[in-house]
Amino acid sequence: MAELFGALVQRPNFVVFVILFLWGLYIMAAHPNYVKKLIGLYIVQTSVLFFLVAFSAKYNATVPIVAAGMALDAAAYANPLPHVLTVTAIVVQVATLGVSLALVLGIYRNYASLDEDEVLNKVQ
Amino acid sequence: MSSQLPVLLFLVPFVMAVAMPIVCAKRRSWCSPLTIGAVSVMVILAIMNLRVVLSEGSIEYAFGGWAAPLGIAWLDDPIAAIMALTMCAVALLSLVFGHAVLTQKLEKSVPYYTLVLLFVASLVGIIFAADLFNIFVFLEVAALTGYALVGAGGGKALVYAFRYLLLGSFGATLYLLGVSYLYVATGTLNIADLGSRLPELITSTAVVVGLIFLFLGLAIKMALIPLHGWLPGAYTNAPSAVAPLLASTVTKVALLAWMRIEYALIAPGTVVNHIPVLVLLEDIGILAALIGGGLALAQTDLKRMFAYGGISHIGLILVGVSLGNPTALAGALFYLINDAVMQATLFMIAGAALHYHGVRTLDDLKDVTNRSPWLTGALVVVAISMVGLPPTGGFFGKWNIVLGALEAQHYLAVFAVLASTLLTLGYFLRLFSCWFYQPVTLQTEQLEVAVTVRGSLGIASIALIVLGLMSDSIVRVFLESLSRSGI
Repeated sequence: MAELFGALVQRPNFVVFVILFLWGLYIMAAHPNYVKKLIGLYIVQTSVLFFLVAFSAKYNATVPIVAAGMALDAAAYANPLPHVLTVTAIVVQVATLGVSLALVLGIYRNYASLDEDEVLNKVQ
Repeated sequence: MSSQLPVLLFLVPFVMAVAMPIVCAKRRSWCSPLTIGAVSVMVILAIMNLRVVLSEGSIEYAFGGWAAPLGIAWLDDPIAAIMALTMCAVALLSLVFGHAVLTQKLEKSVPYYTLVLLFVASLVGIIFAADLFNIFVFLEVAALTGYALVGAGGGKALVYAFRYLLLGSFGATLYLLGVSYLYVATGTLNIADLGSRLPELITSTAVVVGLIFLFLGLAIKMALIPLHGWLPGAYTNAPSAVAPLLASTVTKVALLAWMRIEYALIAPGTVVNHIPVLVLLEDIGILAALIGGGLALAQTDLKRMFAYGGISHIGLILVGVSLGNPTALAGALFYLINDAVMQATLFMIAGAALHYHGVRTLDDLKDVTNRSPWLTGALVVVAISMVGLPPTGGFFGKWNIVLGALEAQHYLAVFAVLASTLLTLGYFLRLFSCWFYQPVTLQTEQLEVAVTVRGSLGIASIALIVLGLMSDSIVRVFLESLSRSGI
C-alpha cells in the first residue's frame, strides 16, 4: 500500500491524467444536458493530450533545434514527436467541437431543448 | 508516375473537396457531376493501382522522401489495393444511387458534396496508412464527415448523429491513448516497425494496456457488440442517399485497420496472463455474430434490421481475422469486400423502398402492390449472398472462414458461422414473407424507378455474383500477400 502511494506521489502528472479522464467520462455519461456532455468529452480528450505532453517532458532538455557547430547529444533535447502528435490531436479536437456544436444547435432549433431526456421523449 | 498512384487516389477527392465551395458557389448544378466525376476517376485510378501492385509488387510510399520508421509511410500492398478499389466502387454506386433519392435541400447543397468527397478521401487514407497515428487522423476525418452526413437529414437524425459523435469521439480518444501507450513502450508509430519490436515486450503491462485501448477504440468505430449503440439509430435516420455510403464503409475500414494492427503486432498463439489473446478476440467475434443476428431477427424496422445484420457480419469477420491462420484471414478479408457490397445494396433497397413506397417497417411492406422488379431482384440476390449460398461471394467468404476454423480446430467458430447463417436466413424469411405478402397487381400503374437506382442496384447485384465467381483468384491474391509478409 505504502509502495503504491509512493509511486503515485512520484507521478503527479499521471494521477492528474487519470482523474481528468474519469471525471470527463462521468460527466459524459451522467449529465442529461447536451452541452455538458460535450464539456465532458472535451475534458476526456484534453486529458489524453495532457498524458501525451506529460510523458514527453524531460528534465533540463531544450527545444530540438540543432544550431550549426553544436554537438549532437540526444539527452539534451526534448522529443518533438509527442508534441507534434499533440498539436495534430488538438486540431482534430477543435474540428470535433465545431461539428458537435453545430449538431447541438440543430437539435436546439428542432426541439427547443438541450435536455437529453426531453429531446428523446419528443423524438419517440 | 505509377508509384504515385496511392497518393493520387487520395488527392483527387481531397483537392476536389477543397475546390468545391469555390467552383460551385455560383453554379450549384455542377456539384453532383463534379463529385461523381471525381469518384469515377478514383475508381479508374484504383484499378490502375491494383494492376501495378499485382504486376510489380507492393509500393511503399514514403512522404517527403523520409523512409518508414523515421518518416510517415503508406503501404500499398495487394490487400490495400483491392480494398481501395472496393471502397471507391461502393462509394461510386452509393453516390449514383443517392442522386435519385436526395432531398431537394441536399441536392443543391455544396457542403454535402464537400463532406462526401472528404469522407471518401479519408477512407483511402485509412486503407493505405502504415502508421498508427496516421490511421487515427484519417479515422477522425472519416468520423467527423460521417457525423455531419448523418446529421444532414435534420430532425431526428441530429439526435442520433450527436450520439454517434459522443461515442465515436470517445472511441477515437481511447485509440489515441492506446497509440501513446505503445509509443511510450517502443518509441515508434510505424506498424511494421512496432511489429519487429513488440514480440519481446508483449507481456509488459504498458503494451497490453495500450493494445486493449487500441482495440476498444476501434471496436467502437467498427460497432462491435456490445459497443454498437451508435450504429442502428444513426443509419436508420441518416438520409437515404447517405446510409449506403456510410453503412458499407465506416465499420469495414475500422475493422481493416484493426486487422492490420492485430496481424502485425499479435503473433498467433500469444498468451498474456494465461489468456490466449487471439482466442479471446475470436470469442468476442463469435458473441457479436450471434447476438447481432439475434437482434436483427427481432427488428421490425427495415433499415434497423439491415444495420444489425451488418453488425453481426462484423463479428463474423473478426472471428476470421482472429483464427490465426492464413486461410481464415484471407476468407475474412474476402468477406469484408462482400460485406461492403452487401451493406451498400441492402441500404439502397431500404432507401428506395422508403423513397418510392414510404415503407419504413415490415408491416408497411405488406401494403405495397406495385413494387419494382428491380428492387425485388436485387433483394433476392443480396439475400442469397447474405445467407451464404453459392455462387455469390458471401458463400466463399464464409467457406474460407469455416475451412480456417477447421484447420485451427476451433469448432465453436464453425458453429458460430453456421448459426449466424441460420439467423440471417431467419430474418430474411421474415422480410420475404412481408415483401411478397401481396401479389403484384398489373392493373395498377407500374412504378417508375429512376434509371440511376436501377443501374446501381443492377451493378451491385452483378458484382455480388462476379465476386463469387472470382473468389478463387481474389483469395489467392490475399494468401500470397499474407505469406509474403510472413504469417
